[in-house]
Amino acid sequence: MGYLFDPDNWEWVVTENNLGFLLEAFLINLQIAVIAMVLALAVGLVLALGAIARPAPVRLAAKAWVDVFRNIPLILLILYLALSQPQSVRDFWSDSAPGFLPDALRSEFILAGIGGLVLYNSAVLAEVFRAGILSLARGQREAAAALGLSYLQQMRHVVLPQGLRRMVPATVSQLITLNKDTTLVSIIAIQEVVRSGRVLAGTAGNPFTGSGVAAPILHVMIFVGLLFVIANYALSRLSRRLETRESRRIATVRTAPRVSEAPPA
Amino acid sequence: MDVLTDNLDDFAAGLWVTTRLVGAAFLVAVVLGTLVAALRVSESRPLRSVGGLYVETFRNVPLLVLLFITFPGLRRGGVDINAWTAGIIALGLYTSAYVAEVLRSGVAAVSQGQREAGLSLGFGQVAVLRRIVLPQAFRTVIGPLGSITIAMIKNSAIVGASIVALDDILKEARVVNSATFQTTEAFFWAAVCYLLLTLTATAAFRGLEARYAIRR
Repeated sequence: MGYLFDPDNWEWVVTENNLGFLLEAFLINLQIAVIAMVLALAVGLVLALGAIARPAPVRLAAKAWVDVFRNIPLILLILYLALSQPQSVRDFWSDSAPGFLPDALRSEFILAGIGGLVLYNSAVLAEVFRAGILSLARGQREAAAALGLSYLQQMRHVVLPQGLRRMVPATVSQLITLNKDTTLVSIIAIQEVVRSGRVLAGTAGNPFTGSGVAAPILHVMIFVGLLFVIANYALSRLSRRLETRESRRIATVRTAPRVSEAPPA
Repeated sequence: MDVLTDNLDDFAAGLWVTTRLVGAAFLVAVVLGTLVAALRVSESRPLRSVGGLYVETFRNVPLLVLLFITFPGLRRGGVDINAWTAGIIALGLYTSAYVAEVLRSGVAAVSQGQREAGLSLGFGQVAVLRRIVLPQAFRTVIGPLGSITIAMIKNSAIVGASIVALDDILKEARVVNSATFQTTEAFFWAAVCYLLLTLTATAAFRGLEARYAIRR
């Protein structure tokens, strides 16, 4: 306990630019998370639609794809993609990555990292979406079909808005998991916050070269953990906010006088 | 196929290490998770907030960060912890937050009358929880506990992949890969090993569910 609270061991926080160095690296995690989230949500939606599609081959293929990638440990996927990607892919990215990207996102392994995150999370999200869509009463879709909407129109205007809204909590908790999982790319040498923390502590493979204080890894990692707790707590709070607002909105619709909604006779 | 048959010993050893790691961490997670769930449903407000703080902390921290805290972190601090203990504690703590949340929802599903009946029979608060509410809560959350276990099997790969010196399935796959350069085969068979574990867990929890689950 003495070791943990000894102010000397926390000195690295205020030494030189250590704090800025860590926070900048944490920003990389958030960027990777946002990119992977957007892609995973989009791919997940396509997979979910595939898994409920009418043609059997499409349905079976989508389901098999989802089941495979949902059941493989994410870190195994990321490592495999990083180790097996051909030299041409590496060269392609290091040559053509736009210059405005931070160094970490121009790493030759970033495609493997983000690719793994998207493959895994899109499969998990596809299951979440599929459950949301299937939880809707069949009548909704049949009514839409009876109104003459095409399949895509039924999905876009009737099924998805309701089905996905129900799945907001499950989706957000998966996005929190994704946010945590961005630390896994440190294992394929992408300079994000865990790796930067290890650099500060001098355990990243290279000896500590900074002129400041070599930080104790325990304290660095507690600090990094705190950053994630704050970010993810904010995310879960946001989702709870959305939920209560949503349920209040639905409640008002339900209790509103029906007469005004009735079509003119 | 050669990659599997030539390195069967490695894969089998990795499978065994992962199995033991997950088994031990599961025990830690269930014990801690139950205690924290008890805190979260207690009558006293401070105890409830302690439970809430625990859950929010361990649910929101990346497992990799926890592993760096429990292994190199504590060792630098002079705590003589070995790789196994560190890995089991980190994975157990991380999972316990999820177990606590699931159990809390299970407790909420047990009707209030059960608790009141227990109290009126003269059981104390703790005894009511331990003998009446929790046994029923466990039986309602067998399904979710199964999903947590499967997530834990997958998360155990992070333990092996980080610095903790445990030769689990993934670590063995990397060893085989660097010896044979058959990356796809090595990782494919590792994925099959994980699938073997998750499918076994799924079957086991299905069995438990069929036998014990209370459907609400």
